[in-house]
Amino acid sequence: MLAATVNGTLGHSVLLIGLVCATFGALATVYGIRTGDGRLLRSTQRYAFGVAGAGIAAFAVMERALIQRDFSLKYVQQVGSADTPFIFNITAIWSALEGSILLWLVILVGYTAVIARRFRKRLDDPLVAWALVVMFVVCIFFFVLTLGPADAFKAGPLGVTSGLGPNPLLQNHILVLFHPPILYLGYVGMTVPFAFAIAALITGRVGERWLTETRRFALFAWGFLTIGIILGGWWSYEVLGWSGVWGWDPVENASLLPWLTGTAYIHSVLVQERRGMLRVWNLTLLVSTFALTILGTFLTRSGVIKSVHAFSNGSIGPYLLGFFGVIAVVSLGLIAWRGDRLRSPGAIDSPMSREGAFLANNVLFTIFAFVVLLGTVFPLIVEALQNRTIKVGSPYFESLSVPFGLILLFLMAVAPVLPWRKASAELLRERLFWPAWGGVIALVVPLAFGATGFAALLAFGLGGFAAGAASRQLILATRRQGLRGLIGRANGGMVVHIGVIIVAVALVASTTYTHSSTLAMQVGQVKRYGGHTFELVEVQGFTTARSNGVRVQIKVDGGQAYAPAITTFTNFGSNIPTPSVRNGVLNDIYLTLDPGSKPGDTTASIKVFIKPLIIWLWIGGGLMVLGTALSGFPGKRRRLPTDPTSALIPSTDRPPRDDDAPASTASDERPSEEIVSV
Amino acid sequence: MTTAAVPASAPKPLNRRLKGWPGWVLLLGVVVVALLIGSTRSTGPLTDADRLDGIAQRIACPECDGESVYESQSPAAANIRIQVASLIKQGTYSDDQIIAYVQTNFGTKTQLVPKATGFDAIVWALPVFAGVCAIGGLTVAFRRWKLAADTVPTEQDRTLVDDALREQDDGR
Repeated sequence: MLAATVNGTLGHSVLLIGLVCATFGALATVYGIRTGDGRLLRSTQRYAFGVAGAGIAAFAVMERALIQRDFSLKYVQQVGSADTPFIFNITAIWSALEGSILLWLVILVGYTAVIARRFRKRLDDPLVAWALVVMFVVCIFFFVLTLGPADAFKAGPLGVTSGLGPNPLLQNHILVLFHPPILYLGYVGMTVPFAFAIAALITGRVGERWLTETRRFALFAWGFLTIGIILGGWWSYEVLGWSGVWGWDPVENASLLPWLTGTAYIHSVLVQERRGMLRVWNLTLLVSTFALTILGTFLTRSGVIKSVHAFSNGSIGPYLLGFFGVIAVVSLGLIAWRGDRLRSPGAIDSPMSREGAFLANNVLFTIFAFVVLLGTVFPLIVEALQNRTIKVGSPYFESLSVPFGLILLFLMAVAPVLPWRKASAELLRERLFWPAWGGVIALVVPLAFGATGFAALLAFGLGGFAAGAASRQLILATRRQGLRGLIGRANGGMVVHIGVIIVAVALVASTTYTHSSTLAMQVGQVKRYGGHTFELVEVQGFTTARSNGVRVQIKVDGGQAYAPAITTFTNFGSNIPTPSVRNGVLNDIYLTLDPGSKPGDTTASIKVFIKPLIIWLWIGGGLMVLGTALSGFPGKRRRLPTDPTSALIPSTDRPPRDDDAPASTASDERPSEEIVSV
Repeated sequence: MTTAAVPASAPKPLNRRLKGWPGWVLLLGVVVVALLIGSTRSTGPLTDADRLDGIAQRIACPECDGESVYESQSPAAANIRIQVASLIKQGTYSDDQIIAYVQTNFGTKTQLVPKATGFDAIVWALPVFAGVCAIGGLTVAFRRWKLAADTVPTEQDRTLVDDALREQDDGR
């Protein structure tokens, strides 16, 4: 009981301290900016560290409460259990609303402290100071949430000695330890570029400088969001038992939306850095990305949308919706206020230019984000206006995502070889020839192996085309710079492109060419399906402290036995399938046990999925992560630090090559990392 | 080191010749033929389980939070799968007929895709509208930029740029 008092009181106390620190931090910084008091501004680092300390302490106290099984707290009663294994007891903190908000908070305060530390020598710079104010304000909002509608330290009913534990889906696989925090690192990380965007608008310093300040943070956040989404797909594949990786569920869509606008931003920002253009567009993308993280949280945590992933249903909705409204109004107001300074000095000379391709890419990503958002919220609109319920499921999203995916693959093929300003037909013919034949090979080889379907084959062809273009850029870069040709934003970006292409091709193959069959078998019987043999060895029962179930042993191709199971978590009573998968380079064999089997039975019904190229999803995802990391390293510097980003590129001593295309400059052919400042 | 001058009439290197129009026409021909073959040839007979998966992906689980019958492990979804499997086994119904049967018997809650009529049509029409607006917007923007780019700089503009470049050079 004493521990309970300690945890609850300590939790509320540190959250209150964090709120006070964030409030004083924001007020002191604004006062310092107004009065020009550099000493005061330099001291704001302490507030940031205070906020971070408080947020981390609150998170630690909740972990302590879960480990101690402190059932005096309502949240521990909800997600804790005496039987939950240690690792899932640790992860139980983010298995419901209140703990998720705590996770958000601890990452947010971490970013705030990192910003204060990273810019410690420039805290009296109004741009940095305003960015910190924005970070403090966002922190205040989340501290208020944790003390109000998402209070994890609220006392629960007396006399409770155990709880249900986390949702069974959240105590069934080790990925629960990694997927949510990594996703949140990306989600919450979008606050940093947003804060600098708002600071740039407030200070009127809307040039390109603030972009370079936050470039790595944006990339870092995008990278984590990417990893989080891929891990989510992997988790779904390993846990949910339907053999898919993406179901267009509202919670999945909520993570995809900021990823789409964030992806658009990390492309279009290059145009601003290079040409000083698209300022309003880039600001809007950053604001949208951050606003979508809040809107996504509202959609998935407020209970307005039902989802298998939405492990919460709290009263937090109006707060999040209100905050979303404030973000939208303030940001749009600031953009309108600074409209005169945001006018771009340049123009895009031709659609057949790198900036033209970036613009097309941005339009596509934005429309796709709109489509995903529309499909996600449309049931709410219908319910609000017509008082009836409808569902917008995966067939809708899949049918609309196909054209977007194909056009994006085409752009990924063409854009990397385009020069800035303008490309001639001769230049394109020259640079795209071999990549295009790469596409032909990628089309013909699967065809020779029996692949069918217009969209799937076109996707393979475009994927090969895009991979050829990305490889061409990397080969050119490594020829000139050796291994340094793999690092830097443009070259790392090409590695990311190859990863995206592999993911796209694997997704197309696995969704188009998956085959399945249900095999009703007796023990000892061997059945053949999809060129493989399956032998039912035995049907076993199993019991643990928190669950019981039935598991079968299936020998595949006479070799290793695989063990799909159905687990019944006794606290919940729900049956959770546990698939068993044989991974392969070309095919995965995915086995699930149909319901109805009992321990000791001599028969069982097994569902077998033959899923092509699934492992390439994870390999492609790994390449995306590697490419993002390579992009984070500085490329070759070619400019003086004082040069404006749209300055002319100094000539180099490289002699002209025979194959230099006439319509482009030498620098156009070089990876753009050499061109932009770092 | 001196480089020998290449006579203007010298034949183009093989790489250049391959990249000429004939190479592209050949490429296009291969692509068109491959796509034609791939999109018209038979995928082979579907197993009953394949058909069941395809149909189940188009039906919403009536008791679940946003899952299809294919994804869901709930008893309601399992029940619908059994009924669909039995209709497939009869071999007389098309996929659309089976889906219509499910919707008649289990209600509109099983409808996973909005209709393209009435108010629900908005969810289909808006993406098309957005696409048309985007294409129109890009066309207008590029036309405006082209007009701006076609503007010939005046002598005053040139002097301004020269002064600025000179100033920058002096600064270094």
